[in-house]
Amino acid sequence: MIDSNDTGLGDFAALFDGGTGSIFAQTGPAGAHGVPAGLDTHSTTVIAVKYRDGVINVADRRATAGYTVMYDQAEKVLALDDYTLISISGSFAKSVEVVRYLRHAFKYFERSQLQPMSLDGKLQELSRVIAGNMAAAMQGIGAFIPVLSTFDREAGTGRIFFYDAMGGQFETAEYGAAGSGSAPIRGVFEYILRTKGPFREMAREDALHEVLTLLEIASDLDTATGGSSKHLPAAKYITADGIRDFTEDEILTALGRPTGNAR
Amino acid sequence: MPVSPYEWNESIRQRNEYIEDRLKDGSPVVAISYDNGVLILCLRPTQRKIFEIYDKLVLAAIGNQADIESIRTGAIDIAHREGFSRSPDDVSIQRIVGFAVSPSIKKVYADPFAAPIVIRALFAELGKTADVDQYLIVSYDGEFTRSQHYAVIAGTDYAEERVLNHLKSETEGNIPTLQQALRAAVYAWGIGRKHIEEEDREEGDLPSDREKSGDVSDFLTEHLNSGWSVEAAILERSSHRESRYRVLAEADLAETLKAYR
Repeated sequence: MIDSNDTGLGDFAALFDGGTGSIFAQTGPAGAHGVPAGLDTHSTTVIAVKYRDGVINVADRRATAGYTVMYDQAEKVLALDDYTLISISGSFAKSVEVVRYLRHAFKYFERSQLQPMSLDGKLQELSRVIAGNMAAAMQGIGAFIPVLSTFDREAGTGRIFFYDAMGGQFETAEYGAAGSGSAPIRGVFEYILRTKGPFREMAREDALHEVLTLLEIASDLDTATGGSSKHLPAAKYITADGIRDFTEDEILTALGRPTGNAR
Repeated sequence: MPVSPYEWNESIRQRNEYIEDRLKDGSPVVAISYDNGVLILCLRPTQRKIFEIYDKLVLAAIGNQADIESIRTGAIDIAHREGFSRSPDDVSIQRIVGFAVSPSIKKVYADPFAAPIVIRALFAELGKTADVDQYLIVSYDGEFTRSQHYAVIAGTDYAEERVLNHLKSETEGNIPTLQQALRAAVYAWGIGRKHIEEEDREEGDLPSDREKSGDVSDFLTEHLNSGWSVEAAILERSSHRESRYRVLAEADLAETLKAYR
């Protein structure tokens, strides 16, 4: 009657290509080896950690292309639905497109099928998109690695998933990080776990303080990660009540800087 | 195909009669703009009637289940394709209903050999303020009418008219809060449903003196006690949540339904 897809199973991608494959399963330009390094804008350190009531996500705000800082107010922690955050690293253009795709895919499923997509279903969809992007990523353009965090309402707990470039998915018990600044700080996570105990038992302020300190260290060690002096990092958390932004004051306090009028 | 103008007229008349006869038992669905959003509400035994279409777009319909389903999925497909390839801001009630839903219904209606689409559909779009919320009611022949502040669909014209009358007096000159809107919507539903049931029994329109408050309240109590439940959803104007659409839970309705329990 109205032009509608035949699958009837809530597959958003099928609206575009008749269900023959992911709309992201495309290769890069043929023989595009040696894409100029400055062509692709990248963005950089994202961290997710569990805390007592859920998950915290933080990210710096710098986007770079080659040696150039393109943008200092990039938003890299994005909501996919009411309980799911995706933190993006790698190609900014591709990440933003993927986030737009996932938001539509999840909502399309929920609206057409009259039930939300399961957590496994959502994870599968994300893995598929990353795997579909492999060919282009191999040619040096459009590679992106996300960290996905969500509040699992059935289990009553926060969950964090990180990925490799082939779409391989790993669930982590404590923390996940991605981007060029994540490698230099990896050992610090382990140090905190051994000296201060698990993130998942920390209060919200304490966990925020730890991850923002980690982000500051990353910005000191990695040129592609922005510091907090010019623009405050992005910081959000997910609990059973959904997603919230940390206030500016909470972020300043966690950074050990004066708040409000005292600034 | 009809061969003369008379036959054409006659086939249309029979078509209308057939559809209206099948719609006439349809329970009302009431929509009201309140200060922080749009409320859509009905009472029903089991079947769902209110559906999210897109970020700021919701559909409620009475009629044949399969027909409603095809309009619903068609509208969802078009909205999502458009929202993804252009922008969510380009998915408007005017484009979805005016250029997709209405012409499709009209096409089937005009074909004398196709089974007609039995539907009366209410589309609601959330605006920046209550004054720019939009309601479009699409009829089985593809015609649609626009309204603001409140809207209703029901099985008969008379029932719709009586509900509108009540909503008009309830919202006169001011934008209600959610609680006020809930109260008005439940009561308005009672008026509409009462007319539909009584018209059914007695044939023909009934005078409005059956709308005395005791009558309608008893009528609502009776339905709630016999297993009917309230289905209510809102589109929220400002919310920290990613989705603006939310189905109201039992707790959100308790205050309003207290009067009828």
